[in-house]
Amino acid sequence: MISKKLERVLQRVQKPARYVGGEVNAVVKKKEEVDVRFAFCFPDVYEIGMSHLGMKILYGLFNAQPYVWCERVFAPWIDMEQEMRQEGIPLFALESGDPVRKFDFIGFTLQYELSFTNVLNMLDLAGIPLRSEERTELSPLVVAGGPCVCNAEPLADFIDLMFLGEGEEVDLEVIELYRKFRQAGKGKQEFLRAAAQIPGVYVPSLYDVSYHEDGTVAAITAKDGAPATVRKRVMLSMDESYFPKDFVVPFLDVVHDRAVAEVFRGCIRGCRFCQAGFIYRPVREKSVETVSCQCRDLCQNTGYDEVSLSSLSTSDYSQLNPLLDELLTWTPGEKVSISLPSLRVDGFSNELTKKIKTVRRSGLTFAPEAGTQRLRDVINKNVTEEELLKTVHTAFSGGWNKVKLYFMIGLPTETFDDVAGIAELGQKVVDAYYDTPDRPKGRAVSVTLSASSFVPKPFTPFQWEPQDTVETLRKKQRHLVDSIHTRKIEANWHDAETSFLEAVFARGDRRLCRVLEEAQRRGFRFDGWADCFSFEAWMKLFSDLELDPAFYANRRRDFSEILPWDHLDYGIRKSFLVEECKKAYQDMASPNCREKCSACGAACFGGGICFENR
Amino acid sequence: MKTVRIWFCKEGAARYISHLDLTRCFSRALHRAKIPLWYTEGFSPRAYMVFALPLSLGIRGERESLDIRLEQEISPEEIISRLNAVLPPDLPVYAVTEPVMKPGKIAFASFEFELETEDLSAQEALGRVEDLFSKQEILVEKHTKSGPKTINIAPFLTHTKVWEENGRLRLSSVLPAGSTENVNPYLITTSIRNYMGFDFYEKVARTNLYDAQMHPFV
Ligand code: SF4
Repeated sequence: MISKKLERVLQRVQKPARYVGGEVNAVVKKKEEVDVRFAFCFPDVYEIGMSHLGMKILYGLFNAQPYVWCERVFAPWIDMEQEMRQEGIPLFALESGDPVRKFDFIGFTLQYELSFTNVLNMLDLAGIPLRSEERTELSPLVVAGGPCVCNAEPLADFIDLMFLGEGEEVDLEVIELYRKFRQAGKGKQEFLRAAAQIPGVYVPSLYDVSYHEDGTVAAITAKDGAPATVRKRVMLSMDESYFPKDFVVPFLDVVHDRAVAEVFRGCIRGCRFCQAGFIYRPVREKSVETVSCQCRDLCQNTGYDEVSLSSLSTSDYSQLNPLLDELLTWTPGEKVSISLPSLRVDGFSNELTKKIKTVRRSGLTFAPEAGTQRLRDVINKNVTEEELLKTVHTAFSGGWNKVKLYFMIGLPTETFDDVAGIAELGQKVVDAYYDTPDRPKGRAVSVTLSASSFVPKPFTPFQWEPQDTVETLRKKQRHLVDSIHTRKIEANWHDAETSFLEAVFARGDRRLCRVLEEAQRRGFRFDGWADCFSFEAWMKLFSDLELDPAFYANRRRDFSEILPWDHLDYGIRKSFLVEECKKAYQDMASPNCREKCSACGAACFGGGICFENR
Repeated sequence: MKTVRIWFCKEGAARYISHLDLTRCFSRALHRAKIPLWYTEGFSPRAYMVFALPLSLGIRGERESLDIRLEQEISPEEIISRLNAVLPPDLPVYAVTEPVMKPGKIAFASFEFELETEDLSAQEALGRVEDLFSKQEILVEKHTKSGPKTINIAPFLTHTKVWEENGRLRLSSVLPAGSTENVNPYLITTSIRNYMGFDFYEKVARTNLYDAQMHPFV
């Protein structure tokens, strides 16, 4: 439903299709026939949010319940926000056009720290108080899920309840509990206390955090019967867990506009910088039959002609070749192509790439992450130079002439020689091209070195590490450029200032709530977008509030320090992370879960790879 | 190989999708509905798809059309029902015919407007709009590829009527449309706003297309 006011505004904004809904497979229910209304908010623009698989899964799952109507909400882009504020249009949901403040649940998915300001800005646009304590009624309840809830303490004062881990079961349990409490006429506090008893539910207001004089956490104390630690939820049987048979098909060209099948959750690797590699443990695979059947349903119900096999590292899927063969029994007939989003250096072969499409289209990308073997051992990225060169050889004789390599700058123990090693590795790839006799004739090679800045994250072995200062990161970026001696190599990098802010919030505590609140007041949002992000404005904010951001980003923590997320349990033992951190400093790699179990703790969930024969 | 013309409406949310998005949406729907499309020969085969005339964002289209080529016979009823099963609700297909005219022949389009005034009665608004339309010169800024340009729309208003109905101001207009000359109906509502200084909610629909002799596009 598009209101008259909205109609008028739509004439004046870019890409109005972002705000009208009406897409194929969008779910429209009758208000009178549902009991619970859930506004699923993605704190970024439509094109980004609509590319996100987790949102599609939960949207499908919620709407499969006859009594729930789940609708989508995205952050309006700045032109639209301005119009909405001017015309007094509150944040609304796409399917019904109804204001989200009237919903029972307002649920945010927290995918990256730089979207935290958007969360607050969306609440403000919705016209509801930001602080949890100021919302005294049972509804709307502001809830959150997604990877960043593993430490969303900077949002603790605003969110009523967070879901740790995978939401498929626990979300519905909370919705059920809400119905009961609403029916019984019970209040919000009572509800939150009861919800905190559900495994996987974290109610920030039921934990008191005290601090030492130096700003570190002194204690985190649970109250009102809340558990001392909250353990994440996982779905053990991936074949039985819910997966949608269709996706909402956007009109607009979104970032990932294709059918997506999830082949497994988790990652066997344990790269020491990678949060996803730890918080999604253990690895749980879907069977070939399940994936193939889900792909087929999706293509049939969306009209997509491309299906992407998604996971953190798809070439680690133990059944990859059987799966591709199974898919190829029907995809050509349906004019559907298959793509893989992530390929490991050691997972590449021309035989494989013949079966898939993406690689051919977008060029080859690999992620060695560090320029020298020593540093790759430090971060536990088990890729050797030899493997990389062998792979590019294969690719070059297979007709490719473009390679993109991803690296990180600012990793623990990194020296300027390690940085120069990135350029050297690039040079070796260039040389490999000219050493390949059957390379594409008459074409020059092009190697792109893409360097992001390392951001230490909770629940990784590097959670105690300081991030390099912005100045050091900049020096290293310059050193990288200075180490390149050919036009055939191009280097690009992420802005160090954005990475700094990301580092502040990634390991932030509740004292940052005040900062975010003031940031919203000052109009900060879309910090992940270069056109909206102002480092100066952020630094002024921190200094106005007399809080030092370097305390969060650039400080080395002691192993014995209480971390702001210590009351959250992702199955990974802290002592395991300490061991891994120490091994990193001894340049020692660890085996992956398939080679040898390192007893990280994730076996506590009672399933997945931890219980498979090796 | 046979060319057919698919007739549909563009309404509701679908009014806000661009021409490019509409093309993508239809190609997905045709794929999903398993319509036996004819593909061009060659290295990257493409299905033949030609829309009669793009429509500006926000305008409702009542007689929109798309030409496709079929590799196999398939009945119009079958095409309609298969497509409606997979298209979004705001893009209903209502007829499939054999094309008579080429889209290139289109020279005019007819539009219907409904204006809901806010602080002014429709009767009063009618008087003011009639005054405006009697002027020799109505200048309004038009956005072109080379930037904004001021044009006089008065000469194009010879086939424009305005009246009042149920408290709303109604207009109907036939404007040049097609590859040679195009007058966007929003130029009329913009000129009313600019010259007469009152605001309103507007609904605009493109109701039909015509060739140079004012024969309806079929
Ligand atoms: S317990 Fe062992 S197998 Fe399971 S996730 Fe941890 S390291 Fe991997």
